[in-house]
Amino acid sequence: MSKPNYDLEHHVKKATGIGDPQCFKDEAGEAKFKVGDKVRVKDLPDVFYTRTQAYTRGATAIVAELVYESPPAEDEAWDNCDNPEWFYSLIFRQKDLWPEYPDTFAGDTLETELPERWLESA
Amino acid sequence: MSSPTRNRVLGHLDYVGLLQPAIHKETHAPYPDEVTNEQYRAYTRAAHDVGGERDVPISWEEKEEEVWEHNTFVTCEVLAWRGVWNAEERRRRQNVDVGQTQYLGLPYYGRWLLTAALILVDKQFVTLTELHDKIDEVKKRYE
Repeated sequence: MSKPNYDLEHHVKKATGIGDPQCFKDEAGEAKFKVGDKVRVKDLPDVFYTRTQAYTRGATAIVAELVYESPPAEDEAWDNCDNPEWFYSLIFRQKDLWPEYPDTFAGDTLETELPERWLESA
Repeated sequence: MSSPTRNRVLGHLDYVGLLQPAIHKETHAPYPDEVTNEQYRAYTRAAHDVGGERDVPISWEEKEEEVWEHNTFVTCEVLAWRGVWNAEERRRRQNVDVGQTQYLGLPYYGRWLLTAALILVDKQFVTLTELHDKIDEVKKRYE
C-alpha cells in the first residue's frame, strides 16, 4: 500500500487573504430562497456527520438572511469543497420547536444557519 | 498472575464494562432483528447533536484555560495551516467520530488532543507504533 498524496495547500491557497467562507463567494449559483420565504427543514439522513440540529427537522422557519456560500458541513468535513451551497439564517418560533414551551414567552424565537440542501418551501 | 500492570488492566476492563450508551439498558452487539429503527437512529446520530435531549442541569464554572489546552489549540490550528485538516474535519473528528462515550466522558480539549494525534496517524504522518513509543517515552519521564 502506498501513501495517499494529499494536496496540503489547496485550502490555504484558496482562503489566504480572503477568508473562509468568503473564498466560496459566487460558487453556489442562484439561491433557491429569498429573505422572508417560509421554509421547512427536511429530515434527511445524517449518518456519519451533520450540523443540522435534529430539533429543527420538520419545523418551519422564516428566511432572515442569505449569509454566505460554503460547502455543506457534511461535505467539508471530508474536505470535499467542490459543491458550495447558499447558507440561510433562519428564524424559528420557540413554540414550534419545543412542545412544552410556555405561552408566556410565545414571542420567543431561535435563529440558526442551515445550508440549502436541508430546506424545502413550506 | 498479578502485577501492577495487570491490576491496572483488569481494573480498566471492569470499568469499561460499566460504560454503556446512556439508555440505561445493557446492550452487547445485538442481532440485527433486535435493533429497531428508533434505536438505529439513536445510535447513528452525530454525538454532538445534543440539542433538545433531556438532561439534568449542570453547574457553570468559570475556568481559565490551562497551558496544555492553549498548546493543544495552537497545535490544531497549525495542522490546519499546514493543510492536514480544515476546521470542519477537525470538528467532525473531535465531536462526532469519537463517539458518544468519549464525547461525554472526556474533557473538551482532551478530545482536541486525541484527535490531533489520530489524524496524524490516519493520514500517515506518523505510525501508530511511533506514537505509542513516544507516549511510553514521555510517560517514563514522570515515573
